Amino acid sequence: MSETVRFVVMRVLVVEDEKKTASFIRKALQAEGFAVDVCDNGADALVAPSATPYDVVVLDIMLPGPDGLSVVRQWRQQHNATPVLLLSARGQVTERVEGLDAGADDYLPKPFALAELIARVRALTRRGGENKFSVLRVADLTLDTVTHRARRGGVDIELTAREYQLLEFLMRSAGRLCGRMMILEKVWNYDFDPNTNLVDVYIMRLREKIDANFGRKLLHTVRGTGYVLKESP
Amino acid sequence: MTIRARMTLWYCAALLISILLILVLGLDELRERKQGEKQPSAGMAELVGIVVWVGIPTVLLSIGAGWWLTRKALAPVATLTEAARRVTESNLNRELPRSRNGDELDQLTAVLNDMTGRLHQSFRRIREFTLHASHELKTPLTILCGETEIELHDESLTPGERERSSNRLEELRRLARIVDGLTLLAKADSGLIRVASTPVHLQELVRDSFADTQVLAQASGLTVELTACEEAIVRGDPHRLRQLLLNLVDNAVKYNQGGGLVEMGLRAKNGTAELTIANTGPGIAPEALPHVFERFYRGDPAHNRDMAGCGLGLSIAEWIVTAHGGTIQIESTPSKLTTVAVLLPILPEMTKVS
Repeated sequence: MSETVRFVVMRVLVVEDEKKTASFIRKALQAEGFAVDVCDNGADALVAPSATPYDVVVLDIMLPGPDGLSVVRQWRQQHNATPVLLLSARGQVTERVEGLDAGADDYLPKPFALAELIARVRALTRRGGENKFSVLRVADLTLDTVTHRARRGGVDIELTAREYQLLEFLMRSAGRLCGRMMILEKVWNYDFDPNTNLVDVYIMRLREKIDANFGRKLLHTVRGTGYVLKESP
Repeated sequence: MTIRARMTLWYCAALLISILLILVLGLDELRERKQGEKQPSAGMAELVGIVVWVGIPTVLLSIGAGWWLTRKALAPVATLTEAARRVTESNLNRELPRSRNGDELDQLTAVLNDMTGRLHQSFRRIREFTLHASHELKTPLTILCGETEIELHDESLTPGERERSSNRLEELRRLARIVDGLTLLAKADSGLIRVASTPVHLQELVRDSFADTQVLAQASGLTVELTACEEAIVRGDPHRLRQLLLNLVDNAVKYNQGGGLVEMGLRAKNGTAELTIANTGPGIAPEALPHVFERFYRGDPAHNRDMAGCGLGLSIAEWIVTAHGGTIQIESTPSKLTTVAVLLPILPEMTKVS
């Protein structure tokens, strides 16, 4: 699955009226191999997907014309299921719930780390292609999601409940960059930036258990902004 | 001395003086008559009798009447005092009740209402300003963070440039966290944050947080203990309560010392959940203690400068606790133990079921 995906150019629509923000988001996504279109108002955004099909839309909530929430609501009414990542400067808890209720797939408060944005866009392009098997596998590391047993190279690995959750999340997103905020959100259920090195400390512990005694490293740090579990460095 | 006591005393003194005046005038009259008559002592006794049997009861009665009269006259002042005492930053827009009879006290009440009204406006303007300011800062911060991150992806950077860029990014992220905290508190002040209200099993959050704290503390060689974890179901917002717990244990780990201790406990008694988080470490000076919940308060600038915190952690913790109808206290014996105690009301019907 991942092999075929790699050769298809993913097209992303960025709807953001703030020019400089739109520009760096475009640069970052292009650097990751995405084809990017930018649109700076709600009215144009509403009709954009009917002209070009997009794989993901990055949508700011505050827009001239109809705002991001009404845009995503109207798309969903028109049965347009393109994955949507909402951006907002307000960063209110209720707004996140509102956005997801309106039909968005993810939400990122401003200011955000670019790696976080890219990781989320990537996660949205692979949505639906997620590993549904009960035994997850990356190289010689396996994780049984029913018995919660982790093994590498035939050796059982003891995990605490949280370490298991973290490893399961990383293995389900194998090959994809996982941002700190994303990990906190999915594994810890935190919807705020707690300003601690909790994730890094847990990754360190996990690394000791799954990587330290084995030749090939699987858990990689990416430029200090996130982590990825994969076979090749 | 109260106005009431003072007025009664003056009243009483005036009466005594007039009685003395009667006595002196009476004696003078008697002296004049004595020169013509032979029985001065009988008149003298009669006069003293009149003063004692009529004057003294009159004085006593007057004291009572005066006491009652001044009480009646000053009752609106007492009411006003009580009403004014209840005025705080959060209810400045509530007006003091007026009699509307146009007397001096009614005018005073009107002036007081005007004054608190103006104060309310000022507070509102400050809150709005903070909210707008923190909001306006987010767009340039987003751009700066994003562009710096893109710059870091540039492979042609020299190691020196890369370090400068990543330092800048680190500071920008810190600034972003400060702005985030500021936005949260400004919104909370304006009542713009809705805190969810669902039954929360506090003991589960504490147990989760205990596991995380153990991991966080291991890197610094600290011991973490959970002294008690009794069942306590409170009404509230699980996300905010998690944030509170993490906020407090993170402080307990950061402001600790090598080989130190973090002690967590959750006890349920008399319908109150008591969460305590204690840590060893330098502690907080007694003069700094009353200010630790103030925004951006830094007790010891030299000590805290290198800490990555945003200076709003405890203010946010206090807001979360208050929003849940609880109280938060902090006690500290410098270089021994610092204890944060959070009291939250337990959901009554749920405690009976368990």
